[in-house]
Amino acid sequence: MQVWTRLFAKSPFKPLIKHAEVVVKTVETLDKAIEACCEGRYEEMRRLAIEVDEIEDMADRIKEELRDSLGPRLMMAVPREDILIYLHMQDKVADSAEDTAKWLLVKTSKLPEEVKPLILEMSGKSVEAAREVHRAIIQMDRIIESGFSDREIEKAHEIIGNIENIEKEVDELDTKLMEVVFKQEEKLSWAEGLYILNVARTLSNISDKAKDAAERIRVMMSK
Amino acid sequence: MNLWLLLTIAIGFWMAWNIGANDVANSMGTAVGAKAITPKQAAVIAGIMNFTGAYFFGKMVTETIRKGILYPNRITDPWVFVYGSLAALLAASIWLIFATYNGLPVSTTHSIIGGIIGYGIAYAGLGIVDWGKVVQVVLSWILSPIFGAIMAYIVFKAVRRTILAKEDPVKAAKVWAPVWLGLAFVVIGTMFYIKVLHGQVLYVAVIKAGVPTGVIVGLISYALLRVYVNRIRSGDPYIDVEWDVFRKVQVMTASYIALAHGSNDVANAIGPVAAAYAVITMGMAGIKVPVPKWILAMGGIGIAVGIFMYGYKVMETVGKKITELTNTRGFSIDFSAATVILLASWLGMPISTTHTVVGSVIGVGLARGVKAINKGIVKDMIISWFVTIPVAALISALIFKGMMAFL
Repeated sequence: MQVWTRLFAKSPFKPLIKHAEVVVKTVETLDKAIEACCEGRYEEMRRLAIEVDEIEDMADRIKEELRDSLGPRLMMAVPREDILIYLHMQDKVADSAEDTAKWLLVKTSKLPEEVKPLILEMSGKSVEAAREVHRAIIQMDRIIESGFSDREIEKAHEIIGNIENIEKEVDELDTKLMEVVFKQEEKLSWAEGLYILNVARTLSNISDKAKDAAERIRVMMSK
Repeated sequence: MNLWLLLTIAIGFWMAWNIGANDVANSMGTAVGAKAITPKQAAVIAGIMNFTGAYFFGKMVTETIRKGILYPNRITDPWVFVYGSLAALLAASIWLIFATYNGLPVSTTHSIIGGIIGYGIAYAGLGIVDWGKVVQVVLSWILSPIFGAIMAYIVFKAVRRTILAKEDPVKAAKVWAPVWLGLAFVVIGTMFYIKVLHGQVLYVAVIKAGVPTGVIVGLISYALLRVYVNRIRSGDPYIDVEWDVFRKVQVMTASYIALAHGSNDVANAIGPVAAAYAVITMGMAGIKVPVPKWILAMGGIGIAVGIFMYGYKVMETVGKKITELTNTRGFSIDFSAATVILLASWLGMPISTTHTVVGSVIGVGLARGVKAINKGIVKDMIISWFVTIPVAALISALIFKGMMAFL
């Protein structure tokens, strides 16, 4: 009897999807914090930024649990190394969001009007990227479900393509924002400039890491 | 009736009970785990099919176990068969209970063969054992999970290619699932012809019984799937294939594997009983004596009672613990394992149902069909190949020596 209860191990994909959900929530909360920042609601911004940190902790816990459960004795549809690397990448998405939140917490600064739309757009795109990662890992689970059918793999490629596009867009926004900041160098103090550039840098990291995670899914689904 | 015969029958029945109680999960575990059937349904199906398999298909392996391992002409006193059978049955039961309790994937078949070797050696030394035969038997144990794995790998790849990869998997499944069921019934029909109708030539059996049965079952299941699969459509092709088509198909393959299990494993309980019976009623030993039908029936009933009394509970646990198995995977595992078991049983090879099913699970895993399998089981299984014979033999030898000392 125990043979049967021991033979099948738990699928790593359910916790991976759960982890992705938490990552999405981290980035969404950060987005709200940035919105609050742009609208000058600094109290709320602080509260939300702290929340980002807490949610990120939750992601870390899921990550650790999943890592512990993926012993070397498992035979899986996807190599263990790929899953562990993917998990690491996915977690980095939440880490990046936490980095941005940290910047929001260390300094309360009024953002220049020219910068606000760019920051807001980058933040919105980051949420999109995180959501696409969530979709991609669900799709990966489905690919296995379907026995690696070409049609399902095609769908995953689409999602990965979306993530890459978002990353590119965020990159362009980042460049634009840098230009805007340096155009205003006269008006801004060095601290303000440093602050804005770092918020933007950490924000663009989110989609960057999302892209890294997507790359791993590409490896996972290769036949 | 003779007291010794009663005693042997009682212990043989207990062994059959053990098989039903503990081994049933090995054949029905995938079906219950993939939620094709509830533990209750599994108990009913397993009870009926195990009995059918034991009663109709269960003879040949009995002969092998009884005659092949020891040289019967070295046993001068026929009553040794009676005491020996008792010792072997007791030893196998004890070892099985111990091993199951400790979660070791041991085989009923291996245990009883160990028990027989044990009393043989205790009686007349190492020379009584036909070691060539033992090597053959052990080879068949190593080969059966490997064949199970290879077959399950191919079956799952085929299911993937013919159904899952298709534009409309549900439509493809409605055509291909009957083909698979038909194939299963080609095997069953052929076995039936050979075992029950005593056909001699294999290809005649395949043509006269196997193919017609397969075609009929294929057509019926095609018609049934056409009628019943259309109602609920979740819209998700994989969920529909799993739940609407293969969940129903798996009820059939679960019956198939239960039939195979009964035909293969009943010999473990009644083989020694039949040996004792021949001596007690006819004073014969070592001569080819047909196994009386009622002994086969008793073995079948013992297994069924074991299933209803305890195996049912085991399946409930299994159903709760296995959450990741889907019906196409369960189907591939059951289909492959049952076919390998039935063919081995037809060839007279005393293989392990448990290990063949585990092999089939690994095969589907190698085809990337299962999300996560615990490889540690394979190591445990390999260890059990080398541990079971010596340990069961030792226990059996001790019991036999003890009995001889008192009698």
